[in-house]
Amino acid sequence: MTENSPEIQSILDEYQQKRLNRRQFLKKVGAAGIGATAAAAILASCGDDDDPVATTAPPETTAAPAAPETTAAPETTAAPEDMGPTKGGTLREGYNRDVSKHDPITTNWYDPAFFAIYEAIVTVSPDGEFVPQYCTDFSVSDDGLEYRFTVEDRPSHSGGMITAADVAEFYRIQKFSFIASLASPISHYEVDGNQVVAKMNNAWVGTLGPLATGYWRLANINTWKEVGGYEEETALGGDSVVASVYGTEIVDATGPFTHEEWVPGSHSYVKRWDDYPGSNVPYFENKGPAHLDAIRWTVITEAGQRATQLENGDIDTLLNPAHQDLARLEENPDLTVYRHAEWSGYFMFMNRENFPEIFGDVETRRGLSHAVDREGMVQALLFGNGAATYGPFPTTDRFYDPAVEALNNYDVAEANRVLDAAGWSMGSDGVRERDGVPLQFEFMVENESLQTAIATAAAAQFAQVGAQADVNVVDRAVWFERAGGPEVAAGLFMWLWPIPIDVLTLFCASYTIPVPNWSHANEPRIDQAIADWQNAGTVEAAAKAQSDFQMAWAETLPNMSFINQNSTFVKNNRVHGWAPFVWLLYPYYNDTWIEA
Amino acid sequence: MKAATPQSYLAEWNQRLLDFEESQHISAFRRGIRNLVRNRLLLSGVILAVLVVGAGLIGPIIIGGDYELINFSNIHATPFSEGALLGTDHLGRDTAIRLFVAIRVSLAVAVGVTGLALVAGLAIGTVSGFRGGWTDRSFSGVMDFIWGFPLILVAVLFAGGLGEGLLSVILAVGLVNMAAIARVVRGEVLALSEREFIEAARAGGLSNWRIIRKHLLPNILAPALVLASYYVAVAIIAEAALSFIGLGAQPPLPSLGQMVAEGRNFLQLNHWETTVPGLALVVMVLSVSLIGDGLRDVFDPRLRHEAKGLD
Repeated sequence: MTENSPEIQSILDEYQQKRLNRRQFLKKVGAAGIGATAAAAILASCGDDDDPVATTAPPETTAAPAAPETTAAPETTAAPEDMGPTKGGTLREGYNRDVSKHDPITTNWYDPAFFAIYEAIVTVSPDGEFVPQYCTDFSVSDDGLEYRFTVEDRPSHSGGMITAADVAEFYRIQKFSFIASLASPISHYEVDGNQVVAKMNNAWVGTLGPLATGYWRLANINTWKEVGGYEEETALGGDSVVASVYGTEIVDATGPFTHEEWVPGSHSYVKRWDDYPGSNVPYFENKGPAHLDAIRWTVITEAGQRATQLENGDIDTLLNPAHQDLARLEENPDLTVYRHAEWSGYFMFMNRENFPEIFGDVETRRGLSHAVDREGMVQALLFGNGAATYGPFPTTDRFYDPAVEALNNYDVAEANRVLDAAGWSMGSDGVRERDGVPLQFEFMVENESLQTAIATAAAAQFAQVGAQADVNVVDRAVWFERAGGPEVAAGLFMWLWPIPIDVLTLFCASYTIPVPNWSHANEPRIDQAIADWQNAGTVEAAAKAQSDFQMAWAETLPNMSFINQNSTFVKNNRVHGWAPFVWLLYPYYNDTWIEA
Repeated sequence: MKAATPQSYLAEWNQRLLDFEESQHISAFRRGIRNLVRNRLLLSGVILAVLVVGAGLIGPIIIGGDYELINFSNIHATPFSEGALLGTDHLGRDTAIRLFVAIRVSLAVAVGVTGLALVAGLAIGTVSGFRGGWTDRSFSGVMDFIWGFPLILVAVLFAGGLGEGLLSVILAVGLVNMAAIARVVRGEVLALSEREFIEAARAGGLSNWRIIRKHLLPNILAPALVLASYYVAVAIIAEAALSFIGLGAQPPLPSLGQMVAEGRNFLQLNHWETTVPGLALVVMVLSVSLIGDGLRDVFDPRLRHEAKGLD
């Protein structure tokens, strides 16, 4: 028995004196910050026998939603864990979005299968630290201008061998992708023996962040070129890559599962790779081939259907059930719910270049922003499972600056005052006018229930201050086709990215007009803050740059932030080793197994 | 079903003779009322339709309020909650006021679609059947082509071209319904064109337009109206279906299909958000269908007899 803290010892004493049952004990130690696995170990060490109550106890994983610390290990079913993992079985996972093309270089989205098929050179631990994944080790030079990743030659799914030179070549081509600007301080990659060397334009504390995301996950670049007909001259702009079957029919990588089926709108399917040489990730318990035979992700875009399918046993695990179903799922003793902050947000872009008479001045944008009851939206639309955002960042980001909360707060009187001062006078039909132009605009939104509800709620609140937002619900493809064009004044967008500062810059930098800076915002303050971030060589400099960025966003309103929802994952308690945490968008599947 | 016997057939025939004799002595209005009262299908349909149309027309006036007004502090309220006769939705909007406005939307679409389909279908079907030759082949080909397209696909095409909204719905459903009515009308006109009274009109030197106006249209109007009443129901369902998938009425304007779609995500929380507009949809379609069946009986008694096994 290890030495316990006084608090834990006290709880343990109560348990041994039979004043607490096992379930109550687990609850109390969970509240004291002890994971269930550790709690089970404590019980085992004091000679506890298996209490059947514990195997059906509600999991203690649904604590305060916003704090990353709430992602405590949820395993309350200690007995099966003790028996060890069972090999075999297919994990059936429900996914709330469509499956994405499984090509990190050309996809416009990456789905959970990327965490099964691919490995990144580094990944993030549950503590938020960068740890090796594909590489065995990494280091950064004292001046911050060189990152060295030690890599071994590793076989890929096709049987080919990936060398350090192949990794460097992958990164070279990856720099042609549309997302590559997120790592623009990285100049180029070189090979030095068995090391891949990232040469920096400048020292940057954000270097490893993009490399751990789905877009930088390592494919066998030789296969990628072979099936894609890649041409050096055209980089990724040529037709050949578009016509490639890589990512749809053929995938060649180094993760523990191989790509088998990819059917947009329906599912994707992967199988265990028996020749998987093992993982370098220090926190994975299973270092060898996966326990599962296969994983099948089912696309369930219908919000209300997700929870039902889990309850009915159609799926074993679920990403993002509808918020209104969470309370019910948490009461189900057969399920474990994980809630934590999500690196995402909903904002409204306002096309100021093509609609200068409406969105050209910051006062109008600010007036509209004051009309939005973000807290009310969180309660009504997210059932409290999220937070209001007055600036660009989620409130749980480590660099979040709460000073933004003093701006854009809900105040209808202030909204009316600001709009009056901006020259908008109320018309007889309840719509304001200025110089003969009505305060009326199209508000484009993707055809998805939560997004439609947010847009409708915002439009109703704009109407209260004399602005008419005509909500136009369109297909996702149409949304992207029209956004940024000259005919759309405003639109709702949801971003999702594990490092907010990286992706948010894309929506407001002057160099990304018109896509994805659909607002056509050109704010020197924002551009300066972005430049400062991409030149930040120290954490202090990064914090200042990110604070400047948030304040510039909240004050100049290139986009109007609304709310940020929490990320929610649910599993059947028969599933073990599936433990999503706050720093990654999806869980890994190396340790996952299903009770027979 | 009771089998027809010579006695029942004779009784029916005598009743029809009596009705005919009596009808010669009463006004057309009274005759219409009497037919309506005797026809239970028609009567039931009319009563339901009056209720539905009345709710759509005067409901918003009686209840008052704004269908767009949200109230985050009173979401998912059940019917007969305080201040919300039929409850509230996920944004705290009053379901009753939204329902009545949605009925208006459905009625407007139904009238628009059916008007478009009836006028265009009558014109195209009549010209096609009466002129024959290449005109008939051309029109028939186009109508068959349109009729072969699934309604949803046509709606998606219109939505792609004109944008999502009620205009696209009216044009898409109207186009498909027009093809259906035109095909039936053409068939009727082809049959009538062979009849003696049309031959006589031609022999008498009447112009084509006059023959169509004076002799053909009065004879095809009745079946066209019966068909149109059926397509009113189709239009209501189609509008609801297209709004359900987001191609119809755009928020915040309510429609029955959109309300059902929004409510289905909260079925376990408050099923009334879906049940209430769903029931309204059922009642609307039922009323129109009953009226259609009743009109069919009135205009084509032979069908009624067939249904009763009297032929």
